Amino acid sequence: MDVRAQVSMVFHLDKCIGCHTCSIACKNVWTDRAGAEYMWWNNVETKPGTGFPTLWEDQNHYKGGWTWKAKGNGKGRLQLRSQNKFDSFIKLFYNPNQPGLEDYYEPWTYKYQDLFDAPEGDDQPTAIPISQITGEPMDINAGPNWDDDLSGSPLYAENDLNLDALSEEEREQLFEIERLSMMYLPRICNHCANPSCVASCPSGALYKRGEDGIVLIDQEICKGWRACVAACPYKKIYYNWKTGKSEKCILCYPKLETGQIPNCFHSCVGRIRYLGVLLYDADRVAEAMQVPDHALVESQRSVILNPFDQAVIEAAKASGISEEFLYAAQNSPVYKYVMDWKVALPLHIEYRTMPMLFYVPPLLPVMGKLENGIYEHKSEAFFSTLEKSRLPIKFLAKLFAAGNESQVEAAVRKLMAVRYYRRSVDMDDIDVVEISKVMREGKTTPKEADEIYALTAIPTIDQRFVLPPIQREEVIGGGHCSPEACKGCTGLGTPVAIERGP
Amino acid sequence: MPALDNFFLIALPYLAVVICLVGSYYRIKTRPMTYSALSSQFLESKGLMWGSLPWHIGIITIIAAHFIAFLVPGLWQALLSNQTVLLFVEAAGLGLSLLCLFGLAALLLRRFTSEKVQSVTSQMDLVVLLVLLLQVALGAHIAVSLSWGALWSVGTTVPYLWSLLSFTPDLSMVQDLPLAVKAHIVLAWVLILLVPFSRLIHMFAVPLEYIGRPWQNVVWVSDRRKEAAPQAFVEGEARRYFVKGGLAAVFGLSLLSVGVFDKIFRFFFGPRLTAHQETELMTTRLSRLEATSSQRKLELERQENDYILVGSLAELNSERGKYFIDYTMMPALAFKTAEGLPLLISAKCTHLGCTVGADAVDGKILCPCHISYFSIDTGMPNADSPAKTPLPHLGWVLMDTRGNQLVSYSGKGAVKGTLSEAQRASARVYIAKAHQIG
Ligand code: HEM
Ligand code: SF4
Ligand code: SF4
Ligand code: FES
Repeated sequence: MDVRAQVSMVFHLDKCIGCHTCSIACKNVWTDRAGAEYMWWNNVETKPGTGFPTLWEDQNHYKGGWTWKAKGNGKGRLQLRSQNKFDSFIKLFYNPNQPGLEDYYEPWTYKYQDLFDAPEGDDQPTAIPISQITGEPMDINAGPNWDDDLSGSPLYAENDLNLDALSEEEREQLFEIERLSMMYLPRICNHCANPSCVASCPSGALYKRGEDGIVLIDQEICKGWRACVAACPYKKIYYNWKTGKSEKCILCYPKLETGQIPNCFHSCVGRIRYLGVLLYDADRVAEAMQVPDHALVESQRSVILNPFDQAVIEAAKASGISEEFLYAAQNSPVYKYVMDWKVALPLHIEYRTMPMLFYVPPLLPVMGKLENGIYEHKSEAFFSTLEKSRLPIKFLAKLFAAGNESQVEAAVRKLMAVRYYRRSVDMDDIDVVEISKVMREGKTTPKEADEIYALTAIPTIDQRFVLPPIQREEVIGGGHCSPEACKGCTGLGTPVAIERGP
Repeated sequence: MPALDNFFLIALPYLAVVICLVGSYYRIKTRPMTYSALSSQFLESKGLMWGSLPWHIGIITIIAAHFIAFLVPGLWQALLSNQTVLLFVEAAGLGLSLLCLFGLAALLLRRFTSEKVQSVTSQMDLVVLLVLLLQVALGAHIAVSLSWGALWSVGTTVPYLWSLLSFTPDLSMVQDLPLAVKAHIVLAWVLILLVPFSRLIHMFAVPLEYIGRPWQNVVWVSDRRKEAAPQAFVEGEARRYFVKGGLAAVFGLSLLSVGVFDKIFRFFFGPRLTAHQETELMTTRLSRLEATSSQRKLELERQENDYILVGSLAELNSERGKYFIDYTMMPALAFKTAEGLPLLISAKCTHLGCTVGADAVDGKILCPCHISYFSIDTGMPNADSPAKTPLPHLGWVLMDTRGNQLVSYSGKGAVKGTLSEAQRASARVYIAKAHQIG
């Protein structure tokens, strides 16, 4: 057992209001540079919708993630969908699976100077849009959130690939204008435990940090081969057209290393984001990703270790995990959502990268049922809503459970049970017998329901973010190495010039 | 013209290679952010496909072929001795250069037509593309106008390159080549010179290590893992080093096997002689054998004579010895003593056998190889000479013109007989077979 610690995340989708504050908090700090204007390390998508880059979930086109086919003996081999070790060389020259600018959008700004410089005339001067790439005037016909809030029509939403699971009839129902429903899906890099981006990098510039599992690109080693851009199924690696190197979400590691909360987490208006440590068995990751689709969620859970188990604690210490990390793991809100309550699920686990960002599926579009303009919250509806839910369970299962509806159902039922239970506590307007039936159906107890409620609705900032002390202090403070000598390895080194080659 | 040739074909290559290596190393180490393939596929994809794919496939194959001809010219020539192979190689070369030209044209076109690509185009990008276009065009021109370049290069440009590599630059093989070929060579050096100053540096980045690398790449920032779990840490690191070492070994071995394969290949598939060539070869061998045997016969004849003439006594002196060959076919020197008698001494150095010089300075002769001085009177070497044993004296016989023995000396003991003034003028010095025995 090789115990590794992973700084992992939970996004509680019921709380996301789709305000994009997280995206801006990230952009202002990290990607407000030439070459990076179009990058959104954090982006928020409307679902159903086509996402960013457009139709990123279409792996027949982009070829991201791993494939696995069961062989006769039950075992197969994980293979990158985008390349093997040999055709990767031909793909250096031209990568057929790399998204181009047109799959994102052409970044633009406005010619504000014209407002001041325009000669006197009959019309008001205007600031026309100009491309941030060429500097030339341009027509804006795409943007990173072009289909935000469904863009007022199902035009984009209809193309959502996750709707493939639905029958023709179900689709029609979904898009009935009075029923039309949506949810938000904020996305950052999942800092996967079996990252296909790392596996695809010909130069070995991508790596996963041993201590905290953050996936990074070494900018000095990256040669701009772009294999990772194609290989990441979540399209969370962006090619900087200016520097000729690829970039990705860094989970604000410079902030984490100084005990601060990553920007998108800290700024989140809906407080939907949780950050904490998970322990997992690194020896078993690849094997766990080699099971049929419907078993993947369960298989991923089987790799995550219980930080209270004495054997795990011993093994963790033997693998070099510090007391502080263990402590953080034991208090991790992520462990509670993912393992104790099993209400947080990975996004598109069928890509088999073992993402370490988990989503609590949204409840409102599921149970909310518009009748005479009123949302239905009565308990009689409890047992029927899943079938009648506006956003079909099938659709959610495609997103969060590789199509395994029972996983999503279990999570949704538990969340609903918590809701009924808390309503009965606060309002005392639901029959006790009714409540106990609901609790049984949701497979939860009053104690657990109270805990879920507390961490979901009224958590403090210290409960949402349980940060482990990350290694910068360790390296400097460990006495192995003076700050001067260790400048490079502790991230304090002299920066190299960020310049494009001649 | 020789001055120009010297500059472009000797000075420029050394300059280019040194600047390329030092400059690239410096750029990669100190400005790592500029070390990238600088892909522009993100901004324009379709044109790049038509440009980059044909260009790279073509140019890499062509450069590889140039390298093989340079590294193992023997193997290359042996391969091409087969008519079909030669035809194929020539046709493939021409085809690939046309492929490259097509690719370059597409690359240039997109550089000029796509606004987005232009915003990441430097002047150097255009220089590189144009020089490459010129270079490949010259190559194609040579392939068409001076056919069988694959063959004639083995006798011209390959020895030229090797002479540069061995620091004994020799232009004799390329001096008289047509201007197009010379220009092709010079442009190649110019391109090498451009590497550190342009995007061409991306050639050094070929990620061969990817083939053997484990899929995942985990980096430990702190020492904790090394200390707490040395076993796991060392295993992980060992694997990384093993992969690197393995790749280096494979590369070395494949170079080695190319060399060995060369020999094996030539043994089995090397050029087959025609009957005519075979006869010619045998005749040459025969004439060489004949020459050796006649020489051998002469030697024997000489050794069978009772006496061998060294020279007349009058021509000998005490300062400059006369070389002659003794019965054992070894060199020896003849001097004259103060008494006017011959002094014959072996000229085969007793150290390692060089031939000792003929000039006696202060009665000493010098072996130039490692500076041994020998006294001609005693044969003794100087105390500090590398030679430790004396040069032996040889016996001699003085005869008059009619062959009567006048005086003789066996190499040891006393001189027998005397010599009158009248005889002295006409006496001749011989060595005698009789003195050799024992
Ligand atoms: C050794 C293996 C090589 C690899 C892996 C390689 C890879 C690449 C890549 C990835 C690009 C960027 C293409 C893009 O825009 O997406 C590129 C461009 C280029 N390469 Fe290479 N290359 C190699 C060898 C060479 C050689 C030997 C030459 C010339 C002697 C060369 C000349 C060029 C040029 C001129 C471009 C610029 C094309 C443009 O105008 O966009 N490459 N190469
Ligand atoms: S989500 Fe992040 S870690 Fe996972 S494959 Fe993509 S870039 Fe890599
Ligand atoms: S800041 Fe929070 S609530 Fe707003 S879009 Fe981002 S994740 Fe959702
Ligand atoms: S051979 Fe004459 S001194 Fe060495």
